[in-house]
Amino acid sequence: MSVPVAVAERMRSIDKSAEDTQQAPGLGWGALVALAVACIAIGAYSWSLIIRFGMQYTGLNRPVGWGVLITDFVFWVGIAHSGTLISAILFLFRARFRTAVYRAAEAMTVFGVMTAGLFPIIHLGRPWYAFWILPYPNQRHLQINFRSPLVWDAFAISTYFCVSAMFLLAGLMPDAAALRDGSQGLRRRFYALFAMGWRGTAEEWRHHGRAYLFFAAFATPLVISVHSVVSWDFAVSIVPGWHSTLFPPYFVAGAILSGVSMVITLLIPIRRAMKLEGLITMQHLDMLSRLVLLTSLIVTYSYSTEFLLALRGGASPERDTLLYRATGAFWPLFWLMVLGNCIGPLFLFLKRVRGSLLGLFAVCALVNVGMWLERFNIVVSSLEHNRIPFDWGAYHPRLAEIGITVGSFGWFFFWFLLFLKLLPSVSIAELKEEAAHDHHQEAAHAA
Amino acid sequence: MPREPGVLAVFADPSAAARAVRAAHAAGQRDVRAAMPAPFPEMMEAMAQPRSLIGAVTLCGAVLGMCLGLWLTIGTSVALPISVGGKPIVSLPAFLVIVFEVTVLVGGLSNFLGMLIGAYIGRRKRFMPADPRFLRDRIGVFLPGTSESARELLRAAGAEEVRDVA
Repeated sequence: MSVPVAVAERMRSIDKSAEDTQQAPGLGWGALVALAVACIAIGAYSWSLIIRFGMQYTGLNRPVGWGVLITDFVFWVGIAHSGTLISAILFLFRARFRTAVYRAAEAMTVFGVMTAGLFPIIHLGRPWYAFWILPYPNQRHLQINFRSPLVWDAFAISTYFCVSAMFLLAGLMPDAAALRDGSQGLRRRFYALFAMGWRGTAEEWRHHGRAYLFFAAFATPLVISVHSVVSWDFAVSIVPGWHSTLFPPYFVAGAILSGVSMVITLLIPIRRAMKLEGLITMQHLDMLSRLVLLTSLIVTYSYSTEFLLALRGGASPERDTLLYRATGAFWPLFWLMVLGNCIGPLFLFLKRVRGSLLGLFAVCALVNVGMWLERFNIVVSSLEHNRIPFDWGAYHPRLAEIGITVGSFGWFFFWFLLFLKLLPSVSIAELKEEAAHDHHQEAAHAA
Repeated sequence: MPREPGVLAVFADPSAAARAVRAAHAAGQRDVRAAMPAPFPEMMEAMAQPRSLIGAVTLCGAVLGMCLGLWLTIGTSVALPISVGGKPIVSLPAFLVIVFEVTVLVGGLSNFLGMLIGAYIGRRKRFMPADPRFLRDRIGVFLPGTSESARELLRAAGAEEVRDVA
């Protein structure tokens, strides 16, 4: 087959793979959507209990004013980080393996932020006052406190959502245009909406290329700032176990670890269910699993530093709180966290584990559990075991909080499942660019 | 968008299309238009287009965002001064977090709008015949004006199809 024909053939096969993912959904997809909706219903009912009857339906008390809801918030912000890492940071580093996986990761980012953003509002107890965090002229002559990390959070999360959504939309434009011209009726109009008039002219690509580069350049410091701001929610206070300058890098590394693990956890079933094995190959998963291993080592180093510094500091509330975290009421959760985030990923040093879908899935699922527990340990154990014994307390999550957590998973997966069936989950244009490049390389080698 | 007469060539290989563009440039045809399913580097290089102005638009947006962030934090704190925990009314280090976020937000928005507007203006000003294949597996090269030498040049570069557009 001559090179031109082979290139066109390869581009057609990429189109076909992407179009196949957009076929009418099967029973399995319907069942998953139904399950997600059921989880949302559980979450909505649980939230309604808090709205109707107050925060007594949570396990929050004095001194533990933050619990599962704030844990969920930090967890989902962390999940959202992988998309930007894979699409923006790896783009700037010209890492080619990102091409097949970044679209799903970007979508995960947007849905992760949409989920995370709900929690501060739910946690308020009176969500109808959520707008008080926004700066607006009012009759009370009050202005929000710009020195508060909670206000920084509102700005950081909103900005992150807007930039991630625009980044996703910019990447989708050429792919939606390719699918638009091959579809009809309502679906065609839907794709046309996302294509925004795209026709693939060199003029359009010229602007698109520059804009995409600037998005990547903006998103890179933004992603670091967002989780740093989330960590400052804790670190700016003087609560032992929270008040640490280590928190921003530690949180960013943890966010990337949890996010990339979630990407792998989702990609393994997706590539099989949507028959994308030809586009999302084992090599892509192998590279992502190395990223999990690297960030896991950084997180392990952070845990060790946090503990060693506290232990060497002599008798201090910091030391007591960290020892309480490892040996107190929630000690099984602490050691499960260590298992999930530090020990489990070490198996990724073995090529056999990285090459096994089951092994990789198990390690990454364990990391997801470990990262949720990490946030729970940080939030709860520090508040339970404050500076003076008079101020100590206990926290037990209640059903409403667990229901809302279940609902958040339903909410995230509902949007993600819709995305998989309505929009291309791989970047068609970038895969075509790579296909042409690869064919020319192969032809040059053959010659 | 006014239609223009010209010659349209369809290529299956980006390198062949890039050869055609370079040959057209060498033959003195500066106005060469193209459409393709992906930004193939060889094509983008051969097209030798001027650098997009999006950088300037984004920079202006980012500077505007920074000013808005400073105005929002410093301006409103001075207008409604409430001392919190003995901290200065204008606490610049703390405000910088908000300023950074607003800078990125407005910079990102102007980047996105700049791209959409740039693409729209490009489509309006420079006619390029539409063909669904150019979004899927073929590259289109359009030379405005009709001449036999243009047709020859495109065929010689390896075009699969060369046709006149009225």
